[in-house]
Amino acid sequence: MNGFAKILFRTSSVLVAFVIMQRASFASVDDAQSFALQAAEPYVKQGFQVREDYWGGDLASGEKKAVRQQLFKGNEYWFWLGTEVDRAKVSVHIYDSDGKLAEEPDSWEKGHFAAAHIIPKTTGSYFIIVSVEESPEERTHWALVYGFR
Amino acid sequence: MILFSKHLKLSVAAVGGLALCAHGAQAPQHININQLSTTVEDVVVPLPNEIFGALNKLGAVNWKEHVRSDKGPNFTERPRIALLLGAVIADGFIAVQAEDAPTVKDIGQRVLALAKGIGVGNSITPHAKAIIEAADKRNWENVRQELDRTQNSVQQAMNEVHDEKLSQLVSLGGWLRGTEVLTSVVKQHFSTDGAELLHQPDLLAYFQTRLKSMPEFNLPIIHQIQEALGEVKPLIDVGNAHIPAESVKKVNEITTRLGTGIVTRD
Repeated sequence: MNGFAKILFRTSSVLVAFVIMQRASFASVDDAQSFALQAAEPYVKQGFQVREDYWGGDLASGEKKAVRQQLFKGNEYWFWLGTEVDRAKVSVHIYDSDGKLAEEPDSWEKGHFAAAHIIPKTTGSYFIIVSVEESPEERTHWALVYGFR
Repeated sequence: MILFSKHLKLSVAAVGGLALCAHGAQAPQHININQLSTTVEDVVVPLPNEIFGALNKLGAVNWKEHVRSDKGPNFTERPRIALLLGAVIADGFIAVQAEDAPTVKDIGQRVLALAKGIGVGNSITPHAKAIIEAADKRNWENVRQELDRTQNSVQQAMNEVHDEKLSQLVSLGGWLRGTEVLTSVVKQHFSTDGAELLHQPDLLAYFQTRLKSMPEFNLPIIHQIQEALGEVKPLIDVGNAHIPAESVKKVNEITTRLGTGIVTRD
């Protein structure tokens, strides 16, 4: 019985490790998007229309990605960034076409969520810079959604 | 969306408090945009109602006069169907602005028929049904959301079968119809803030680049749009200067001409 228990324990351990590895390998940008949408949810109640379309990908720690977006003066926008990696730290910031920081001071970042708020002073292209500041993973999925009102 | 619902139940409350407890973000005040050029992702094309929302804030707009409900011809060429589908979805947003329930319902049916025409009807059926139900209840917010979902689902379904170019034509059809209505409204009651909404040079360049990569779509309407975008570019790419009333009028003439071309058989 002792030998059987050992085999059972070892088999179970291998199975658990396999399941964990499978979960990690199946994590995707879709998972990251679900977290970005969670960050957006409280703002929907404030009248923000969240777009179905989104940007996503994966980044190494310390890596950045720029997204270019047309914004319209008169509207107010929030951009929400999320990742499924719990212990990752992400950030998102908005710059105008001259490279000047254009976001409102209530923009925020908290672990694997971050958000940037802008009330554009002019209509035109803006750059949204997403970054994975820290992560235990080699590559970290990210997704960026936005809403306007 | 399934994942979203699952996670939502678990953590909406937790996330709701994030903004309150999160620290202010530290970011450089200036960055060198030129150094970003190799890492910039593609644009997400704004929906027509994003522009209409900004337009509404400049003053009351009589949206009813911009509603278009004629069914138009049935095309067999997939690029033509894609352009028309984008334009019809934009018409849906206009009908929502006008709170015109019968037209919204017609547009829901029309979108479904067009989506079937390019082989993505299955992914649209639930959205078309939701559009019609929401219009019956005059729940305009839900109609807007379903129109966005419709466009997204059509484009995702096209991307899945590697029809990205058709997906881009859906966006282009919507953008052209939105620009036609924007310029029509601003032309009637000109203001520099209204005209500034046309300042979209990067978006225009994006569409020009995409069209150049579609030589297989050898159709008169595609060539006409390519030429027309070249005419529009200098009118809206004005840097920090104002876009004058004359330019708004010209862009309206061009986009109206293209809009007629999109809904008319050659």
